[in-house]
Amino acid sequence: MTMWERERMQSPRPASPLFWRLNPTVYHLLGSKCSDCGHITYPQTKICHKCGSFNQKDHQLPKTGKVHTFCINWTPPPGLEPPTVNVIVDLDGGGRYVGLITEVANPEEVKIGTKVEMVLRRLLNDSGLDFYGYKFRLVEEA
Amino acid sequence: MSVRGKVAIIGVGLIPFGELFHKGLESMIQEAFMSCVKSVDKGFDPKDIKAAWFGQWSGGGMIGQGSREGTTLGTVLGLRGIPISRLENGCPTGNDVFRNAVLGVASGAYDVVLALGAEKMRDKPGVESLVAAGGGAGGGILGLHPSWMMGMGGPVLQALYATRQMHELGCTMEDFARVAVKNHHNGVACPYAEYRFEVTVERVLSSPVVCWPLHLLDCCPQTDGAACAIVCRADLAKKYTDKPVYVLGSATGVDYKDMWDKENFIEMPATKFAAKMAMDMAGIKPEDVDLAEVHDCFTNTELLNIEDIGFCKKGEAHKLLKEGYWNREDGHKPINPSGGLKAHGHPIAATGLGQICENFWQLREQIEPVRQVKLKKGIALSHNVGGNGFGVSSVNIIGREP
Ligand SMILES: [Zn+2]
Repeated sequence: MTMWERERMQSPRPASPLFWRLNPTVYHLLGSKCSDCGHITYPQTKICHKCGSFNQKDHQLPKTGKVHTFCINWTPPPGLEPPTVNVIVDLDGGGRYVGLITEVANPEEVKIGTKVEMVLRRLLNDSGLDFYGYKFRLVEEA
Repeated sequence: MSVRGKVAIIGVGLIPFGELFHKGLESMIQEAFMSCVKSVDKGFDPKDIKAAWFGQWSGGGMIGQGSREGTTLGTVLGLRGIPISRLENGCPTGNDVFRNAVLGVASGAYDVVLALGAEKMRDKPGVESLVAAGGGAGGGILGLHPSWMMGMGGPVLQALYATRQMHELGCTMEDFARVAVKNHHNGVACPYAEYRFEVTVERVLSSPVVCWPLHLLDCCPQTDGAACAIVCRADLAKKYTDKPVYVLGSATGVDYKDMWDKENFIEMPATKFAAKMAMDMAGIKPEDVDLAEVHDCFTNTELLNIEDIGFCKKGEAHKLLKEGYWNREDGHKPINPSGGLKAHGHPIAATGLGQICENFWQLREQIEPVRQVKLKKGIALSHNVGGNGFGVSSVNIIGREP
């Protein structure tokens, strides 16, 4: 346990302000699209990460995409069951999302290019509060 | 600002890296500093030091060392009264501390300065330190991205690159293993390395999978250590030694900090930025470099770095590795002749300064003969890359001639 975590466990305050602040990010998948260069930044930004432009429009990420790269982690931090499959997903229509694969019996089913979709799952428990967010599920090919 | 011709290294100090439970941060710092002062050929009075930069990555609560300001150096080295800043810049902290010290001299502000990095990595087990740093429950919820809590530690970040290197560049796990074979071979003769043993491709591939496609022996260990260098105005160097080593180029580059912003996973633009700036400053090309200490926190990372620094084309590093091109004894351009992070371990802020110690000794040809690289132009390069999304890199180029 890190000193930070120990301090937090001793504190009765859960991290609820942060959960509340992240609501549009986590649940509505709100990012930004640059009106000048088209770069999609997630979470929302006031300044384009790519070109520095101030002209940003809200952009809701789609929930489907394809695996760009992945790994199979046998040494995840406490609270996660090994192995986890960590992925970076190319979202349909642009933008990327980093996350975990869920509901896969055999990690070797995951490949570069595998079609995935986001599903809402419990990610962790923070100071007694369950924290939900998106994981990726493999899309059955017809 | 170009630094070439303005700054020289007159002494370096390094302690053997390892799991040093019997040494505290302060005693490691003192040992490295004392060996540095004693290493100056014509003698050195620490009172000549007019400013210092202290590298420590794991300050704050992360590994329980507590926050260490510049006061740590000022106090334990008896250097109170001079300006000392603590610097943390991810895995390149050591090379970036050196860069800041160099700028302190090149700017004309100070004649003689100290760059020192030290790190206690082992007092806490890895799962509570680096893993938490990279995204245990705490690391993630503090970050901006809701996925950061999902276990994105160092091995995951690098494995996401490795998978793509295999897919796009045709690397195999055997190629990654060959980096470990080379670096562990080099490290056997290095008295400062933590793990001084040979490995084979078979042994690497039969070691436990940490994060597919990376095995245990693809990963560098977490290690305690300290390292430092004293730099001064080039025109004052001969007062301290007849064999100073000169700073030719020094740069830090940053790319996107997060993985999801990256354009691809077969290069690290931070390294490209830093290497290009440092080489432009030095007025040299990659082929002018005799030897390089290159960040090999994971075996696949070394291959990316070799390409990003410009020592070969993208996708060629693993092929040249197989031909022995990067070997210390019979190669064309020795990479990590010290054994690198693979053999030394990675005491973050000490790592880059340890590379500079190695390069200093190599260029002065004062190293164990079995480890000495054959010099051509007398130029050596040190490099780190790191940070959350491997978005920060520092490169220092030093040479025998100013
Ligand atoms: Zn833009």
